[in-house]
Amino acid sequence: MNNLLEQFLSEARDFLQGIGEKLMQLENDPDSTELMVELFRFVHTLKGNSGLFDFPEMTRVLHASEDLMDAVRNGRVNYSQTLADQLLEAMDFVGSLMDEIEVTGKIGSNHLVISTELTKALRALLDTPDAVNVPVAIEVYTEDALTVKGISWSELPIMDLPETIAMGLHRCSIDGETVLWLQYTPEPECFFKGEDPFFLARQIPDVAWRHVILNNSASTLAEMDVFSSQLVFQLLTIAPETELDDLLRYVPDQIHRVKIPALAFVKPSGSSTDQAIDDDVIDSVLALFDNDEIDALIHTINTMLELSSPELWSSSALRWVLHLIDAEPDNKPAQRILLEAFRTQTAPDWSVLTPPIVPQHKTVSAPIHVNTSEIPDTLLRDFNVVINTQKEILSLPATSSGAWSAGRLKAVGATLIGCYRAVQRPHEIEGIEAALNIALTQNSPVPLLGWLETSLANTQELIFKGEPEPVVASLAAQPEVKFGRRTDDARGENAVAASKTLKVDQDKIDRLMNLIGEMVVAKNALPYLANRAETVFGVRELSREIKAQYAVINRVAEEMQDTIMQVRMMPVSFIFQRFPRMVRDISRKLGKEVELVLEGDATEADKNIIEALSDPLIHIVRNSLDHGLEMPEARLAAGKSVTGKLHIRASQESDRVLIEIIDDGKGINPEVIKHKAYEKGLIDEATLERISDQDAVNLVFAAGFSTADVISDLSGRGVGMDVVRSAVEKVNGTVGIESVAGKGTRLFMSLPLSMAVTNVMIIESNKQIFGVPMDLVVETVRVPRVQIRTIKQKQTTVLRGRIVPLLSLNDLLARNEAQLPNEDDEFATLIVRVHGEHVGILVDDFRETVDIILKPMTGILGGLPGYSGAALLGDGSVLMVLNPRELI
Amino acid sequence: MAIEYKKSLAVFSDFVGVEDAEALLEWLGKNPKGKVNFEECTHIHASSLQVLMAVKPPVVAWPKDENLQLWLKVALE
Amino acid sequence: MAKTILLVDDSVTMLMSVKTNLEMAGFKIETAEDGVKALAKLTSGLKPDLIITDINMPNMGGIELIKKARALPGFRFMPILTLTTESQQGKRDEGKAAGATGWLVKPVGGADLLKIIKQVLPGA
Repeated sequence: MNNLLEQFLSEARDFLQGIGEKLMQLENDPDSTELMVELFRFVHTLKGNSGLFDFPEMTRVLHASEDLMDAVRNGRVNYSQTLADQLLEAMDFVGSLMDEIEVTGKIGSNHLVISTELTKALRALLDTPDAVNVPVAIEVYTEDALTVKGISWSELPIMDLPETIAMGLHRCSIDGETVLWLQYTPEPECFFKGEDPFFLARQIPDVAWRHVILNNSASTLAEMDVFSSQLVFQLLTIAPETELDDLLRYVPDQIHRVKIPALAFVKPSGSSTDQAIDDDVIDSVLALFDNDEIDALIHTINTMLELSSPELWSSSALRWVLHLIDAEPDNKPAQRILLEAFRTQTAPDWSVLTPPIVPQHKTVSAPIHVNTSEIPDTLLRDFNVVINTQKEILSLPATSSGAWSAGRLKAVGATLIGCYRAVQRPHEIEGIEAALNIALTQNSPVPLLGWLETSLANTQELIFKGEPEPVVASLAAQPEVKFGRRTDDARGENAVAASKTLKVDQDKIDRLMNLIGEMVVAKNALPYLANRAETVFGVRELSREIKAQYAVINRVAEEMQDTIMQVRMMPVSFIFQRFPRMVRDISRKLGKEVELVLEGDATEADKNIIEALSDPLIHIVRNSLDHGLEMPEARLAAGKSVTGKLHIRASQESDRVLIEIIDDGKGINPEVIKHKAYEKGLIDEATLERISDQDAVNLVFAAGFSTADVISDLSGRGVGMDVVRSAVEKVNGTVGIESVAGKGTRLFMSLPLSMAVTNVMIIESNKQIFGVPMDLVVETVRVPRVQIRTIKQKQTTVLRGRIVPLLSLNDLLARNEAQLPNEDDEFATLIVRVHGEHVGILVDDFRETVDIILKPMTGILGGLPGYSGAALLGDGSVLMVLNPRELI
Repeated sequence: MAIEYKKSLAVFSDFVGVEDAEALLEWLGKNPKGKVNFEECTHIHASSLQVLMAVKPPVVAWPKDENLQLWLKVALE
Repeated sequence: MAKTILLVDDSVTMLMSVKTNLEMAGFKIETAEDGVKALAKLTSGLKPDLIITDINMPNMGGIELIKKARALPGFRFMPILTLTTESQQGKRDEGKAAGATGWLVKPVGGADLLKIIKQVLPGA
């Protein structure tokens, strides 16, 4: 661990302790500004320090805590028990992350979800009804503001926007996305500040339309001042404004941006003809519209479209009418204006609609008076839960010292005030405060309890009548109540579970795994021993006893093995958790908009499988992002939503894990694949003719095939899906692909849950024994010499009407020996399935099948192709296990 | 070398930096019929971009980089 | 090829923290403890791809360093970022006016730092 991190950890522990102490002190003195300010400073510094390292889970939670404490410090949010609980929980989480960093030097898997939940919970406290003072969002871009700036959106140079893109943007805008027109005019001397305006412009995400202007004042080329920027960049983007603010923060004065209202995109384009549409026709269309006969209107418009050339202005206008009816069915005035525009064949004048054109921003305002009927059920239920808990607290016996602490009473009071405010009953607060004051002077909970019961009796509508939340730990059931630590109540169960969890070094698990492997082998020696006792020494009784003992040991060993397998199981979230970040970074880099959906990340598999899965999966995801999902413009043009969807799903199917990676991108064009495969000599002309589309798509897995039309630095050069396939096959998995051009691609991998025990068949060849994994063996047959034919110098035989190529194992292993037939001149033949085809391997003889613990070969032997690994047999000999896939 | 000047073709590769603009301007001045190839290019500094925009030479190949290609096409076509 | 960054800061902790972060991301890092030392490195052949400099330093501060570096022949167009604290809004503007490309806000760490560097340094 480096010094900086060590320094951070020791300092951070002090802060955590300080935060805990301050919170405890606040319990007894909730109004102390001094404590509040100190608390804020602790959280603030801790957050700042954590920012020095790449611990996003930690920083995110601390950031939310800091914002919350800032709000409390400024009086925007009231301090409450709930708030303290939430903060303590967040600090516990941060503490546990630090424990992990101390041990491993980094933050491991599985924290993303908790960190997100905690952040959400902290943020939620910022939005409680207590926070009514939060400034109301102000609509910045009003029509007025634009006029003041001297530019109106109707004058912006976005005339040449293709119709499909314009329609897409209109729909985005209707769906609530902000479409911004952005003009970036770099200052002339910007190059001398190390700026590259073009590089900056290229980083602006989600660009739907772009334009570059050169304002060159020089009369001849030679006079041009190349180091004085004369460029102007213009574009339309749907990127969030905060993101743009962040990106353009160094040059805010050089940016001009205008929010484009949805209707600005409704602009028919095309060639106009002399013969305008008959007024009669327009009148009849308007009549249909005015009578609200929309179906008939759509029908008429479709007929008109069929009769006229699509390039005409009027056709474009008709398409826009259809689009508008579909996208903004309720915006009748706009539809009418568009229809009216047919008379003049000029762009519709939206200015008459100005007020409704500017999309109304939702403004946050606290309702002044709300009926209880409007309080959502969930809120009502939470209210009841909290109130009941307060009742239980108030009913608790006094502490050992015989007195109720003032802090506890104040905390209950604060909670009650918060609760009644949350259910829009601010007038009750006075009563609570009065009762609290009496309670404090009497040092007794009775006044508060009395107030609460009377109040509840008078406000029956606040009693929640639905099902109670199932998991609510009862406070009364606990012998002693400590405040502040959530771990003591609601999280009690988790806390106990946590204490029962033991962190174990991975090496130890691996060692355990090796030991049980040896144990299985040693145990398998017992039957040999029993056999010898009987046959060699002639002690039958002893032989039987050994066998009985073996049965016991066997059962225990198997159970033990199972248990160790369980320990080795890891959730796929181990790999999944890095995807959100990866997808975000890559899509940003590529300028694509991607929504990632992860499913089933609790699905478990053996550690080796999970580890083996990691690289192929990353490769596939990169491929999807890089080549599958299109740029926002292309998606718009294809009539898809701007945001591409990438779905990664894990599930368990009997004893296998299924991983699917689905995108809704452009899919794979089988024609392109076919021709590429042909060009690269992967398939011959005959195959090119008759290969099915699905088979063609599968060609992406063929060695030496790279699908990328454009090789980018993301997916690498020349490394393709064949690498993915071999990596997956190495752990006995399979991989497949389905794709519909234009719609998307689904890639799926099926892997064994565990690879610890392998069932192999032992075969004999050239006086040696070898293992062959049973899952590859289709059948074993004995082929008479006379039935072996030589076709094109290759040995084959016909098996059940099917030609099966035959290979001799001695040849494959480069042993210059012929295979030995049995007395009837038949060859022992192993039919194996390799890459979907049946192949016969000639061996000398078959033996039994055994369960072995397959160990991959390491060191020099690891480089040997053709072997999956080696295993120890019961008699202590080493069995080399062949890998027919590599062998053939 | 980010720009390689052949007889009547300028081949752009990787990152074309700010100081490449002067030589590019000179070359385009001397070779009014010069063409440009952007295939292996990943970025062009704004200084060279404006030189290209002033001349608009024929483009033999657009960049493989999708984002750069989109921008160059609107600037130079 | 790894990009070289010259880090200028009088606080060893800050140098160490930023240096470690950037080295992990594959950058080659040169350091200097003040403007004078940084300038000496620049005039004796060091040609970094980016300079990150603190503002307040003994001997020669960041603003002066930027002005002097921009006057050197090979450093007219080089991206320069200033290291400022939350409250130094004025210093950021002053830095920009002197020829800085942008600024970083302390504490700078991990993802944010790299994001900003990638924004100003093509090919990083």
